[in-house]
Amino acid sequence: MTVGLRLFISSAVFGIVIAVAYWLVAREPAGTMLLGFMAFGLSFVAGYMIVAEREADLWGDQPQADNAEAAGEVVGSYSVRSPLPIATAAALTCIGIGLVVSPTVAALGVIAVLALGALFIVQSA
Amino acid sequence: MTAAPASFVTTPRSDVLSWITTTDHKRIGVLYLTTSLMYFAVAGILALGIRTQLARPANDFISSQTFAELFTLHGTAMIFLFVAPFALGLANFLLPLQIGAPDMAFPRLNATSYWMFLFGGLTIFAGAATDEGAASNGWTAYAPLSEIKISTGLGQDLWIVGVFIVSVATILTAINFVTTVFIYRAPGMTMWRIPIFAWEMVATSLLIFMAFPALAADLLLLFVDRHLGGHAFDPAFGGSAVLWQHLFWFFGHPEVYVLILPYFGVISEIIPVFARKPIFGYTGLVLAAFAIAGLSMGVWAHHMFTSGAVDDPFFSFMSFLIAVPTGVKFFNWIGTLWRGSITFATPMLFSLGFLMNFLLGGITGVMIASPPIDFQAHQSYFIVAHMHYVLGGGSLFAIFAALFFWWPKMFGRKLREGLGTWCFWLLFIGFNVAFLPMHFMGLEGMPRRVYTYDAGGTLPLLNLIATSGSYLMAMGVLLFGWNVVVSAFDREPVDSDPWGANSLEWATSSPPPEHNFDTLPPIRSERPVFDLRHPELDPSALA
Repeated sequence: MTVGLRLFISSAVFGIVIAVAYWLVAREPAGTMLLGFMAFGLSFVAGYMIVAEREADLWGDQPQADNAEAAGEVVGSYSVRSPLPIATAAALTCIGIGLVVSPTVAALGVIAVLALGALFIVQSA
Repeated sequence: MTAAPASFVTTPRSDVLSWITTTDHKRIGVLYLTTSLMYFAVAGILALGIRTQLARPANDFISSQTFAELFTLHGTAMIFLFVAPFALGLANFLLPLQIGAPDMAFPRLNATSYWMFLFGGLTIFAGAATDEGAASNGWTAYAPLSEIKISTGLGQDLWIVGVFIVSVATILTAINFVTTVFIYRAPGMTMWRIPIFAWEMVATSLLIFMAFPALAADLLLLFVDRHLGGHAFDPAFGGSAVLWQHLFWFFGHPEVYVLILPYFGVISEIIPVFARKPIFGYTGLVLAAFAIAGLSMGVWAHHMFTSGAVDDPFFSFMSFLIAVPTGVKFFNWIGTLWRGSITFATPMLFSLGFLMNFLLGGITGVMIASPPIDFQAHQSYFIVAHMHYVLGGGSLFAIFAALFFWWPKMFGRKLREGLGTWCFWLLFIGFNVAFLPMHFMGLEGMPRRVYTYDAGGTLPLLNLIATSGSYLMAMGVLLFGWNVVVSAFDREPVDSDPWGANSLEWATSSPPPEHNFDTLPPIRSERPVFDLRHPELDPSALA
């Protein structure tokens, strides 16, 4: 079991314990719901990691791993530039501001986010 | 065995377009740091406006409405746009370097998060340009004050939208950090070898996952109340005003640790370097970070003791408990300093300043975790003093320590030590002159967020002292800016490891190449660069 998985499992157990303890002590619904959602979220991540990590075998987890041994094949060059992030952030901001200023601006923002999302998917494929 | 990521082969560019479109974690880190420092400058100017108004009783430097807008924007900017994003920027720059990764796990998501942070911050400040001015009910935006019946202006709406965007950006960044540290570590960089700063960022990210969704939900409910006819916080229609406080502080108190845990990491990186010793109690520091993170999720309602609607003993006990792992950290830092060969370079000065200021803030925190004391101190300047000692004297001093320490790695030039020492003393003296008297103002009964006060008693003198301290701090910050300017003209570049440090970022050039490392050293302990300098002490060979 990796350290990351242990971390999320112990966090989930802590979340469940504190949510139950809070309800038993305080009988207060809002806080119990918040702690309950937190425990559920952590349990979900821990559960997902248990499933996802079945095949995981990382060089970073090997204390004596050697760099040369771990080097993957060179599969090409990657760009460290993309116009999509700033455009997506601007479009999301337009949605937010549009909701309080102008529905047209919000609608344009939604269209832009959908278009940019499609571009993200196409580029990642 | 999973294949290592392929090498990045790129051509460095430095034009404006390349910065706008960058997905390189180091550039995004620098953008975060620059933007958060700009927001800090604005928030600092707002603070000077507040302190100038309060310099003498019955002052008319600004109106009560402007005063309310100033303290709202000051608090919002410091918390949402400076202290937290600065940590995100620092982690953006450092995390992949410290764990030997070529970049973040999701580079484009990382860039998107930065731009959302920038635009969200601008949206918050845009409220000041509207007819009715900016939001004016504090960074806590308590309902029903923030409901549309009372806060009718567009400024409050823009505040809600801006903070929501920044919150989502923060959650996305936290996802990136955890994935990067869990998956992208270099061969041999096991989790128990990553630097303490990286551990603290994992703990911080975990807190962000748990706490920020509550804030987002709170803001959405407020938006629905204001524009879609909701009544979530209106008791007259079955809602609850206390619900806002529950949701806000379920985020708000863990947020305090989001604002301080990364800086615990900064201090844990700097002290061993200038004490010439390995960190004392690596495992204890890591476990204490997660104990703090966990316990901080169960203390939110100590901000609500006076509401009469929460279980005071439960939250008081949990709040007291959180002092234990914090004390463990102090013990470890002092243990590292103990019998070390200490040098007082500027990063170390700021780290020691952090220890002293944060200790004072922590002690007053334990005091107000006790409901009878909190009932007296609540909404008074005692609370203002406490939170500024934690976040100003703590986080701010660690921020300057980080700037002086990692500046050579980021830009290939050292900041000047002489100017740095002056900067430290101006900030340290200024900070304590500004905020120590606020404890006494609180004990004298001065409420927070008031724009004027009576001429009698000691309040006029205490306020004048506090204001003069704030101007001393401003001089310290200006001196830092001057240091940045003059150091940029220094001809002598620094080598990869100007401090004789320990962690992996010091194994690459200053500044690092776009692909981070030309060659990675073997990683056999939590101090790979120390091992590289001292092969005769190689732990595997000794074993």
